[in-house]
Amino acid sequence: MAAFIARRLIQTVILILLLSFASYWMMGLMPGDPLDVACQANPHCTPENLEQMKKNLGLDQPIHVRYFQWLGDLMRGDLGYSRTYRLPVTEILGPRLVNTLYLSGISLLLSLIIAIPLGVYTSLRQNSKIDYTLNMFAFAGISVPSFWLALMLIITFAVKLNWLPASGTETIGGDGMMNSFEIALDRIRYLILPVTTLSLLTIASWVRYTRAKMLETMRNDYIRTARAKGLSESRVIYRHGLRNALIPVVTVVALGFSGLFSGAVITETVFAYQGAGKLIFDSIFANDYNVAMCSFIVTSLCVMLMNLVADVLYAYLDPRISYH
Amino acid sequence: MSLQIRTVYVILAFMIGFGPEGLAAPNNKQLNIGTGQEFDTLNQLVSSASASHYLAHMTNRSLIVPNADWKWECQLCVEIPTLQNGMVKTIEEGGQKKMVVSWKIKPEAVWSDGTPVTGKDIQFSWEVGTDLKVSVGERDYYDRIESITPDPIDPKAFSMKYKKARYDYYQLSSFFVLPSHIEGPIYNKHKAQLGAYEKNSAFVVDPTRLGLSNGPYMYKEVKLGSHVTLVKNPKWYGKAAAIETVIVKVIPNTQTLEANLVSGTIDMIGELGLTFDQAIALDKRLKKQPELAKKYKVGFEESLIYEHVELNLDNPILADLRVRKALMHALDRQKLVDALFEGKQKVTHTHVHPRDVYFSDAVTKYEPNLAKAASLLDEAGWKLGSPGSPVYREKDGKRLSLTIMTTAGNKTRELVEVFIQEQFKKVGVELNINNVPPRVLFGETTPKRQFTGLAMFAQTSTPENPPISTMHSSQIPSKENGYGGQNYGGWRNKRNDEILDTVFTEFDLEKRKVLMAEQQRIYSDDVPHFPLYMRADVSVVPTNLKGYRMTGHLTQSTHWIQDWKLE
Repeated sequence: MAAFIARRLIQTVILILLLSFASYWMMGLMPGDPLDVACQANPHCTPENLEQMKKNLGLDQPIHVRYFQWLGDLMRGDLGYSRTYRLPVTEILGPRLVNTLYLSGISLLLSLIIAIPLGVYTSLRQNSKIDYTLNMFAFAGISVPSFWLALMLIITFAVKLNWLPASGTETIGGDGMMNSFEIALDRIRYLILPVTTLSLLTIASWVRYTRAKMLETMRNDYIRTARAKGLSESRVIYRHGLRNALIPVVTVVALGFSGLFSGAVITETVFAYQGAGKLIFDSIFANDYNVAMCSFIVTSLCVMLMNLVADVLYAYLDPRISYH
Repeated sequence: MSLQIRTVYVILAFMIGFGPEGLAAPNNKQLNIGTGQEFDTLNQLVSSASASHYLAHMTNRSLIVPNADWKWECQLCVEIPTLQNGMVKTIEEGGQKKMVVSWKIKPEAVWSDGTPVTGKDIQFSWEVGTDLKVSVGERDYYDRIESITPDPIDPKAFSMKYKKARYDYYQLSSFFVLPSHIEGPIYNKHKAQLGAYEKNSAFVVDPTRLGLSNGPYMYKEVKLGSHVTLVKNPKWYGKAAAIETVIVKVIPNTQTLEANLVSGTIDMIGELGLTFDQAIALDKRLKKQPELAKKYKVGFEESLIYEHVELNLDNPILADLRVRKALMHALDRQKLVDALFEGKQKVTHTHVHPRDVYFSDAVTKYEPNLAKAASLLDEAGWKLGSPGSPVYREKDGKRLSLTIMTTAGNKTRELVEVFIQEQFKKVGVELNINNVPPRVLFGETTPKRQFTGLAMFAQTSTPENPPISTMHSSQIPSKENGYGGQNYGGWRNKRNDEILDTVFTEFDLEKRKVLMAEQQRIYSDDVPHFPLYMRADVSVVPTNLKGYRMTGHLTQSTHWIQDWKLE
């Protein structure tokens, strides 16, 4: 297993290098640098002015030169500056990644805690009233666009009831007026609506997925054998049924966790939440290479590591799977 | 109407019935402004974001700006230099006519740490503005100046020597004045390295530092992408501002922005917030909901941005003036603005804003006239009625077919395109739609003149500014000039070029007005573009906010925030 993990980690590094070049190159291929667009709308922007600004940003260099320069800086631990904000990437991206970790992490944990038991429960009561009801909500959750759900939550809880803030990450100017506990509570207040939006959508799909896998598993011969052996129903369900049903679910959940740092662009945008999702989205469109590439490295590393975790969990859940 | 817009309307309808009651009107203690656009850097010398300018208008003053009545007014300066008051002198050096302009800064003008604003600050700002190692957004303003010399006796006086004698020497609203006592040492330390100053400027690393502001407000807290808190500048020397604290909150989603307004999280939405469609919808709701109308009012102000259709005049069909005129007669622009904008965005016949001193009404106006359009097309040889093409006109077996391009995803422009398509069809002209993303349109299609027929987008004019970059024939982008210039359609008119070449050296305003009136007449006669409508700036403000005025030009309302008062 250790050799397998070491091999996968080496592959991860190589893959990230290749993908980073591909991403950098593709960003460079996008027509119309934001400078061109800004200059087009400004009658006082002269062609010489535009050329000079591109030169200052190094955009007059070929893409591969710029890439290797960026890579060299990265190897030295220098993530560079944001082209848009003229601030170090770590200063901009760091707090945003932490905010996104809170948002995505809490919603994923909530989804996991709620969705899997609900999926199991509905599968064991197939075609019952509760199954139909939960399925109806699950389908609704899958079908509802996140922006719509977010707006409805804002209107209900912020506009109509005035219970929760409509948008933002924390109370403006609250830093110096609140103690740590109050700050934590304040952050939670701002997280409730975006976490609810993200969780409801994830729970809906995970409930359906777990239910389907459980139904499929519970029809297997080994379940019948386990029951014939006289094992208790809970042992049959949780030891034999759920453990097998979870194997494909693990992939879905692991991929969900791999998006911890990439953020939820729509949710973050609607709630004006200071997460990494919108920053990454904007940085790509603004050709803010340093921010975009740093985000890319973090998110792709997450995807690959979580895939590795999923593979390791497979081996744990299914003894037939072994890695050499 | 897109699904998203329809959804929003449904949601808004929901909100009408369920909005919170009894929200207290904002008072002078704090005003929360919502904006849909993010600010970038707060150093205005390098910033290109409108949201950053919106903030800077509250904290920093220019020498001179156009006010809400479109008249130039002194802000840091004591008096506008003119030839008449002897503060402007033309000189000749090396066969070149140059000019020296004497300026004087208000004696009471100080930075927020009490340091006087002096000629040295202006000289330093110009030095940074012309430094090629600094990414200055509008270098044109600094490049025109050959040198700045502070008066050796009076620190508040200085003179500017211009490379060329031009009438627009006073148009310095975008000349950002830096505090040399703070930024000077930073600049000197980093000036050798490309791009280093702008990353280390105090406006970037320490924007709340005392001494960076010379306007009515200063930054108290800056959270990029989230909000900026501004408080009164204790050293402000002008009219005292009434509002204690101003918070500008970034809410990128315009629907959430509106929800924030209704929930009372923000008190107003400035010019950089709502879309025009949203403003119209909200305005209608206010008319139907007296309770809501007591709280807010929606404002519309004709802006400097005009939507137009650029024509590629190298296209043989469009090269024929009769065809261009026929298409203008086929287009009912009044119907367009009435149908889509409820008349709140007005038809324009030229590129000049009606409040600009250069505006002339003596231009050719193309009233909708299908018979005249048909007759002009007939005259140009494009005939209807061929058995192979009964609907569309043909000439030499070739259909009268054109392609229009615009920014994909912009619903308003897409609706306008369909409207034009329908109108052209009535006179037998086929119009195909081929939209591309904005980055492609502005990064490739228009600058490289890759559109074969029509391209619809907005242009920005500036007050009292002849449109050299967009209409002079030297500004036609080509491979030879590195695709420089913004005359994308390729308009060439000798007299137009002559006017644009000479108008800058004409110091008599009345004579310039005559020249620019002629330029607009030529523009309307030659039809290089189809001018459509002037876009409107929109904002929603609390009804108890007094002294608030949208300007319509690039110096936004916040520049006069000291006049705002919540009663």
